[in-house]
Amino acid sequence: MTTATTTEAEAATTSSPGAEAPGTVVIDAVTKHYGDSTAVDRLSLTIEAGEFISLLGPSGCGKTTTLRMIAGFEEPDDGDIRVSGRSVLGVPPYRRDVNTVFQAYALFPHMSVAENVAYGLQQKRTPKAEIHDRVVDALDLAQMRRFADRKPTQLSGGQQQRVALARALVNRPSVLLLDEPLGALDRQLREEMQLELKLLQSRLGVTFVFVTHDQGEALSMSDRIAIMRSGRIEQLADADTVYARPASAYVAAFVGQQNFFSGTVVEGGTAVDSTHALVRGTSAGLPAGGTGLAAVRPEFVSIEADVAADASGAANTARGSLIGVSHLGETMQYLVRLGDDQSLIARRPSPEAPQLSVGDAVVCSWRAESVLLFPADDAASASGYVAPPTV
Amino acid sequence: MRKRLPGFLLAAPAWAWLAVFFVAPVGMVVWFSFGYKPSIFATQATDRLSFDRYAEVFSPTFFATFQNTLWVGVVGTVLCFLIGLPVAYWMAVKAPPSRRGLLVALVMVPFWTNFLVRTLGWQVILSPDGWLSTALQGIGFEPLAILNTRGAVLLGVVYNYLPLMILPLFVAFDRVNGPLREASKDLGAGKWTTFFRITLPLAQPGIIAGVLLVFIPLMGDYITATVLGGAKGNMVGQLVASQFQTAQNWALGSAMAVVLIIVILATVAVGAAIVWLVTLPIRASHRLVIGAPATAPASASIHEEVAA
Repeated sequence: MTTATTTEAEAATTSSPGAEAPGTVVIDAVTKHYGDSTAVDRLSLTIEAGEFISLLGPSGCGKTTTLRMIAGFEEPDDGDIRVSGRSVLGVPPYRRDVNTVFQAYALFPHMSVAENVAYGLQQKRTPKAEIHDRVVDALDLAQMRRFADRKPTQLSGGQQQRVALARALVNRPSVLLLDEPLGALDRQLREEMQLELKLLQSRLGVTFVFVTHDQGEALSMSDRIAIMRSGRIEQLADADTVYARPASAYVAAFVGQQNFFSGTVVEGGTAVDSTHALVRGTSAGLPAGGTGLAAVRPEFVSIEADVAADASGAANTARGSLIGVSHLGETMQYLVRLGDDQSLIARRPSPEAPQLSVGDAVVCSWRAESVLLFPADDAASASGYVAPPTV
Repeated sequence: MRKRLPGFLLAAPAWAWLAVFFVAPVGMVVWFSFGYKPSIFATQATDRLSFDRYAEVFSPTFFATFQNTLWVGVVGTVLCFLIGLPVAYWMAVKAPPSRRGLLVALVMVPFWTNFLVRTLGWQVILSPDGWLSTALQGIGFEPLAILNTRGAVLLGVVYNYLPLMILPLFVAFDRVNGPLREASKDLGAGKWTTFFRITLPLAQPGIIAGVLLVFIPLMGDYITATVLGGAKGNMVGQLVASQFQTAQNWALGSAMAVVLIIVILATVAVGAAIVWLVTLPIRASHRLVIGAPATAPASASIHEEVAA
C-alpha cells in the first residue's frame, strides 16, 4: 500500500537477489498502534546492506516508532522485521545486532567516556586487552581519545555526540540506528557532523538508518530518503529524485521550498487556474475541471521591475508588489504579494539579483518545465505545508 | 546605590532555626552529660565535670539495650530496604505512568493516621487473643506469642518507616528511567546487568537518603518499642526518656543520648565502609583508564562520584 513511486534507485533494489546480506533490514508490512492511533501503518521497506537511508518526516509521522521497532524497544502489532535475513520479532534489544545513537545521547553519567564506550564490549565478555584496544580505536575514530577519562558531563554537546557514536560503533553492529542525533547541535557543528557521519559510514560500510525531521540533513547525507506521512512511506528515492520529482504535493512541500497555487485544472490538465495566476506546466496528469495544485520552487522564479512592456513571453507570469527582500548569502530572496491570500517567493543568485525595493511593482516569470502539478491534497494543506512560505 | 543581598541570606531563617532548636539543645545535652545528679530533687549539675556518667552507661544492662537497639535499627533498615526497593522500582519503572501519582499517594496514606494510633493498631492485631491469633489457631497454629518481643518491635518499625524508604527510592528510580536504561539494553546488557550497573548506581543518592531517613529516626524511636516491645523489646530511646522523665537524672540521660548519637554515626560510617569495600572489586573490574594526554587528574573523578 506504500505510494512510493518507482524510481531508478528503487528499481535497482527490487531487482537485487532474494538472499538478504548481513546489514540488510527488511520491514515487511509492519503496523504499530498506540491505543486508537496508528503510528505505523502497513509499512514495507527494504534497506540494503551498507546503505545510508533517512526516514524523513514531521513529528508524529511514525519515523521514530519505526526505528524503535528495529532496535527492539517496541514490538510491531503486525508484520515482520528482518535484520541480516533473520526475523527479530520477540528478540530483546540486547540480543539484536543493531546499535542506536540516541537523540539526547543517553551517555551513562557515572562512567567515564572510555567506560561508556567499553560498556557494550564488556557485555559480550570481550577480553580486557581487546576492550582497551577497541575502545581506543573507536575513540580515535570519533576524535575523542583526548577526552577518554573525562565524565560525559564535562563535555560539550558535540563531544557527547561523538562519544555516543563511538559507543555504538565499537560493537561493530551490522546496522546503526540514529535517532535525530544532530538535533541538539548548533548549525555549524551540525553541518560538520553531517559530513563526518557520511564519511564514517562510507568508510565502515555499516548500514545507517537515520531518523530526522530536517530535510537538509536527509538530502545531504542519504543514499535514499524515505519521506514518511501518517505511518506510511510517501516516497522512497534518492535525494535528486525527491527534490526534482516529488511524488506528491506533501513531498514537494516537505523537501525544499515551494510556491503553491491552488485552483481549477484547465487546458487539458496541463495548467491550474488560481485566483492570481494561471500556472502552466508541461505534463497532462490531472483530470481537467477538478481542483489541483501547481508548485514551483523559488529558485526557478525570475523577478524584474514591472515596466509597461510584457515580460519575455514566458509561459508563466504573475504581477504583484514586492513586500520583502532578504539577503540569504549566496542568494537574494524576494517576497511578492500577488493578492490577499497569495504570495510568491523568488530567489536569485546574489551576483545577478535585480535591484528592487519594497513597494515596487514587479513581474515574476517561470518556465512551464519547472512547474509540478499535483492533485489537490487536503491533508497536505491542512498540516500547513501549502501555506505561503515565510520570508 | 542598592547593594545586592548575599545569597546565603535565603537560608538565614533555616540557619537561625537550626542554631536555636538543634545546635543549642544538642550542645546542652553534651554539656549535661559531663555533670551529675546532685540530689534527689535536682535533675543535673555541672559544677564538677567527669566521664562518670559514661561509665554508668556502659553497665551490662544498658549495654544489652544498646545492642538490642542496634539490632533492631540495622535489621529494620535492611528489611525496609529489601522490601522497599522492589516496590519503588515497580512503581517507577513497571507501573503505567498514569498510575504513578496514585501509587505515591497510597504509600503516603498511613501518614494520615497518628503514629501512636497506627502502632497501637498493631497491638490489637498481634495480641494472643486478637483476630489474627484466633484465625491462625483455627487452622491449627499455636496462639500468637509475638507481642512484647523484639520481633514485634521489628515488625512495628518496618511498618512505620517503610514509606520513608520507598519515596526517595521511587524518586531516584524515576529519574533513571528512560533512555539510559534503553541505551544499556541496546548495548547488550540484560535486565539484571542494567539494574546493577546503571539503575542502582544512579539511584545511589536516593538509596542513601532512604537508608538515613529510616535508620536515624528508627534508632531513636521509643514509641514503637514501648507499645509493642514490652520488657524484652527495650530500646535506648526508652531509657533516655525514662532518665529524663521518671528518674529525673538528666546527666545520665544526656550521656546515653550522646552515646546513641555516636553509635548512630559510627554505624553509618561502618555501613558505608562495608558497602564501599564489597563493591570495590566489582567497580575495579569495570574501570577503564586510557590515560590519554591532557587528562584530568585521577582525584577529580573521585570528587565527581561523591558529588554525583
